[in-house]
Amino acid sequence: MNAQFKSTILQDFRKTAANPVNVSLQEWKKSGRKIIGCMYHYIPEEIITAAGMLPYRMKAVGSKGTELSESCFTQINCGFVRHLFDSGVRGELGFIDGLVSVNNCDHIRRFYENWQKKIKTPYMHFMPFPKKSGREQAEVYRKELADFKNSLEKHFNVQITDTKLKKAIELHNETRRLQRELYELRKKKNPPITGADVHAVMVASSSMPKEKYNTMLTGLLEELYTGEGISDYSERIMVVGGELDDPKFIEVIESQGCLVVADSLGYGYRAIAEDVDTDIEPLTALAEYHVLKRPACPRIFGTTFNRNDFVRHIAEEFKVDGVISVRLPLCDEWSFEQVNLIGYLKKHGIPHLTLDIDYILSSTGQIKTRSQAFLETISGTKHGR
Amino acid sequence: MFVAGIDLGSATGKVVIMENDRVASTVVIRSTASPEKTAALAIEEAASKIGLKAVSDLEYIVGTGYGRSGVSFITENISEITCHAKGAHWLNPGIRTVIDVGGQDCKVISVNADGKVIEFAMNDKCAAGTGKFFEAMARTLDCSLDEFAALALRSGNPCSITKQCSVFAESEVITLINNGERQEDIAGGLIDSIVRRLLSMIYRVGAVPQVVLTGGCARNMALVKSLEVSLGIPVIRTKEDPQITGALGAALFAQAKALIQNK
Repeated sequence: MNAQFKSTILQDFRKTAANPVNVSLQEWKKSGRKIIGCMYHYIPEEIITAAGMLPYRMKAVGSKGTELSESCFTQINCGFVRHLFDSGVRGELGFIDGLVSVNNCDHIRRFYENWQKKIKTPYMHFMPFPKKSGREQAEVYRKELADFKNSLEKHFNVQITDTKLKKAIELHNETRRLQRELYELRKKKNPPITGADVHAVMVASSSMPKEKYNTMLTGLLEELYTGEGISDYSERIMVVGGELDDPKFIEVIESQGCLVVADSLGYGYRAIAEDVDTDIEPLTALAEYHVLKRPACPRIFGTTFNRNDFVRHIAEEFKVDGVISVRLPLCDEWSFEQVNLIGYLKKHGIPHLTLDIDYILSSTGQIKTRSQAFLETISGTKHGR
Repeated sequence: MFVAGIDLGSATGKVVIMENDRVASTVVIRSTASPEKTAALAIEEAASKIGLKAVSDLEYIVGTGYGRSGVSFITENISEITCHAKGAHWLNPGIRTVIDVGGQDCKVISVNADGKVIEFAMNDKCAAGTGKFFEAMARTLDCSLDEFAALALRSGNPCSITKQCSVFAESEVITLINNGERQEDIAGGLIDSIVRRLLSMIYRVGAVPQVVLTGGCARNMALVKSLEVSLGIPVIRTKEDPQITGALGAALFAQAKALIQNK
């Protein structure tokens, strides 16, 4: 692929995404400021920012094994929590001053309990997240957010005012706005950036101070507007899935000649499609954002219609020729989602491939074969172009 | 005009040389540790059979199989799923379902009237339901692959074998041997367990007749017969060795590409 970049911004984003720790994180820590680990999405990172701390989305990139996890988990637990816990026991995530988690799934619940027992991070907070999307649930979650805010204030002796919260929401909205601008460029016939690079940019946002990130992304966008578009690709592909923090996976798919131009991923478009409301009381706005507003993942009951609709809408908007959905083995939520998606996309004539991928990408031969065969199958019968 | 298709599998390397829509030469050799070397040896042997001087006499070479992307003299590579569909369709245009059981993976491919892939399913990373599984089980029963198939065909009461993982199935087989079960029935049970594994993939894609079994394991008649019983429909036998179907598909693509190139 022929995207050329003059500056080092993209390389910095790639480096940030490829490592658990990065320079910005070290600088932050050196200045005496705190870092709070966030376990999966549905965590209102704006509250952490408003407290003057850095929200860090937990990841175990580069993990070599899970042997230190095995005594605390069973064979039905997913690779994500095992690798993450292993990194935790090894002390590789020792820079976090606190950990906040929601009950996203049973694997994450066990992860939190085990972390509490074995790793003992100084500050820990658990927030039950509603299973359903509804106004009542948003009100319940608002109370959880108030508890979280109070507990942060008490433990770290800080004050999180509504003004600070509003400012933090505006800052995070600015990140989302810039990221949406990046996605807009992917709608072009010749997008100026690969799917793997976009994914690196997205993942990097979860482990950097937002001010610095926004400045860097603004610089990258300036380059992209004047940069050359990519034309040497065959099909336009969309990737759908849950936890995917390794851009290498997208790179493997793109190595087969296609271009990943869109996604519905936890680190991707689902996280940026909507802004948090700035006209209402901040905690209510945050609760409504997570429970009602942002595109849901299959964890939230009653959202199947909207989820399917969202995937189809993005597929059409970005003119994709096919959808590849990925799941981590043993993830029950995404297993059922794949069955749901196959039927839905088939009904709407959108070619679809499902892939199981390990959290730490190792053998890529089969992924390449399946992706190549999928691309060969859809070439000539392109959807929506 | 001569063209070639090379299928570089994990167990064997297969070459089909075609001349004007006719199979001119085929060869199957054991894979070496290097796909480049396997490809060179196989193509040399296939070419010498018809008096060609190997690569320089071939207009276009398409590679497929797990070693498809690492060979210097291959003009282009196409996935084994697309190649098996193409090869099977050329052998019998009525085929709608291709079940390829190879050395390290198996696939079920749904094909349309033009020989194009509509949908496919492929096994996971483990060796369950592949040639590697058969090799491991034949070793445990202390017989060759041919003897293993012959034993299974003689089974009147196949044992129930539930494990599909090569390692755990081996433990199950050892227990059955120690329990005094007949070797024929153990072999028969193993074949049935593999067919069950294949059925789970076949049902995902659908078993639309006509159905064909391709890949090296298709030479195992016990597997073919057990599959026919389970599906309740006949499995087509093709005029060419089922093991070369992928290489044949690759050669057919090579032929089409060479024609475009020479226009």
